[in-house]
Amino acid sequence: MMENIQATLNRGPAVQAAKPIKMKTKDVTVHYGAKQALNGVTLNIPENQVTALIGPSGCGKSTYLRCLNRMNDTIDIAKVGGEILLDGEDVYDPDIDVVELRARVGMVFQKPNPFPKSIFDNVAYGPKIHGLARSKQELDEIVHTSLRRAGLYKEVHDRLDEPGTGLSGGQQQRLCIARAIAVSPEVILMDEPCSALDPIATATVEELIDELRENYTIVIVTHSMQQAARVSQLTAMFHLGDLAEVGPTEKMFSNPDDKRTQDYITGRFG
Amino acid sequence: MSDATANGIAATAAERKPRRDIGIGRRYAAERRFKAYGIIAIAIGLAFLVMLLTSIISKGYTAFWQTEIKVPITFTEKVLGTPEQAVKSQTKLLMANYPQLARDGLVQLLGISADDKKAVSAANGLISSGTRVTLRDMVMNDLSIIGTTEDVWLYASSELDSAMKGQYDLSVPENRRPISDLQLEYIDKLKSQGAIEERFNWGLFTFGASSRAETAGLGVAIIGSFYMMLIVLALALPIGVAASIYLEEFAPKNKFTDLIEVNINNLAAVPSIVFGLLGLAVFINWFGLPRSAPLVGGLVLTLMTLPTIIIATRAALRAVPPSIRWAALGLGASRTQTIFHHVLPLAAPGILTGTIIGLAQALGETAPLLLIGMVAFVADYPATPMEPATALPVQIYMWANEAERAFVERTSGAIIILLAFLAIMNLTAIFLRRRFERRW
Repeated sequence: MMENIQATLNRGPAVQAAKPIKMKTKDVTVHYGAKQALNGVTLNIPENQVTALIGPSGCGKSTYLRCLNRMNDTIDIAKVGGEILLDGEDVYDPDIDVVELRARVGMVFQKPNPFPKSIFDNVAYGPKIHGLARSKQELDEIVHTSLRRAGLYKEVHDRLDEPGTGLSGGQQQRLCIARAIAVSPEVILMDEPCSALDPIATATVEELIDELRENYTIVIVTHSMQQAARVSQLTAMFHLGDLAEVGPTEKMFSNPDDKRTQDYITGRFG
Repeated sequence: MSDATANGIAATAAERKPRRDIGIGRRYAAERRFKAYGIIAIAIGLAFLVMLLTSIISKGYTAFWQTEIKVPITFTEKVLGTPEQAVKSQTKLLMANYPQLARDGLVQLLGISADDKKAVSAANGLISSGTRVTLRDMVMNDLSIIGTTEDVWLYASSELDSAMKGQYDLSVPENRRPISDLQLEYIDKLKSQGAIEERFNWGLFTFGASSRAETAGLGVAIIGSFYMMLIVLALALPIGVAASIYLEEFAPKNKFTDLIEVNINNLAAVPSIVFGLLGLAVFINWFGLPRSAPLVGGLVLTLMTLPTIIIATRAALRAVPPSIRWAALGLGASRTQTIFHHVLPLAAPGILTGTIIGLAQALGETAPLLLIGMVAFVADYPATPMEPATALPVQIYMWANEAERAFVERTSGAIIILLAFLAIMNLTAIFLRRRFERRW
């Protein structure tokens, strides 16, 4: 296991010079009713980098991710505490419009969930509701650019009016990424985006994530340590609602400080 | 030695092998038995359905035909007055003795002496007295007809109609059946002249209430039911869908909404006659709306249909996968946008199906309409939903109370029409669901 990851790391992208911080979280706690799911997580997410959240099931990494664009608001019993700053602004500030926040912090889900509409309408929906396009041409432009950035344009350019649900799993997930990109977010959150995909589709999506890093800040939750090693520059290890350790991906997989991280990445639990 | 040991181990392994075949025969038998129970249950259900349909259709199909007699009618000035008089005053035309024209024509057709009182009266019994309206309308529409002779198809009396359809037992003594030997003789004579025919009974769909079976129809009931369905659709669908969306998507989960939820589910099970009492007390006595009006009927049926629509709509909303909501919310759509752009379109087939089933229920509902006075003798079409009307099931109820043979077949005929409307509505529901159902 260890050698495997080491090998992947050596092929992986070189760690870049330190980047400015895009999102700051301080002592983030989440309660689901009486149950505490996150016990105070403090983590800085660097701009234009891929931050991977790893850890065993139920450790709170998805919960943490969903705090970043307030998707936890949709769960009635969820209570979020602590401080989450996007470019220095508190996202839980009552003055912050959650609609605008989610346009700035987009999300891609575990299971591809295109709308049961045409490929074009899937991508065009976000720009439409946010009024990003003033004319049909502008909208076309946004849709085509987004599909191109998501590496899907070549495959679907001649059938944009066909239903998005008719695509293969990997294509659907890239369509969801194109849909997220179309509203020009600053941060893209990905919740196990490849767990429903086969290895070839996974490889395509991973390449895509690596390319997207240039323009977006990406936070990705993953169960696959190889994936974390392949795509991320910063890795955060969660365990039982705590942030066990955070560090540059290379260091995390070669020389972790925390015993739990070491046990997890060597496959002793999780 | 080592071979022997190996064999020994193999043997014990074979002995220890779990016996998975225990009770397998019994398990299969239980499964076969259960399938057989299911098939028997369905067969019993189908048998009852077939019995019901056979009985109704065999009794009712004759209602769609009505015997008519072709009679040469002379529109004499002696009875009607001259066209000049008619232009001045219509009173004479309105009051004229039209049945006499019909009787004279038939007497002439049968070649009976006008002095033979008994024969004339027997002949007269063959024509419906509803001919008054038919002939009057002909004259009123075209005054130039006065003074001419024209062959007119007149409705036969219900006795002649029933006799033609073979619904009377002719072997019983003459004085114990509604049709006399002399009349039977006349029927044969008319048949040989080709002046008697069974024609499609359009009147069944267009006439209002009448004490004579041959001129009784469902016209007023169909209009009344139609008005009520429109009112139910216009009120129950928007109110029901709005209530469901609020309860399902916006309402906080607390004791109060729990109470509302329990009450909606209970309302769906409240006997319909209770809604009728409510309508009588609130809409008629308190709001002062008119009795027997489709408006009140529609309001009562709306109350009755609301729980059905709310329950169906909430189920349809809940069936929309949460991933679709997340996708829209994650893109920055507001809750209202998410619901109206994504959730509602996906739930639409379910909502439509629920609505149509609710409407079908309302169409067949009788009890509450009895209480608000829609069980009435209404001969004229209601021009607005505020005017008295009846409803299809109520008309069936009223006809079922009539003793005449001709009303028995009309009762079954009306049931066939009601069932046809229900079948059409249910087919529409299935069609809409197939048409709009989208996979995700």
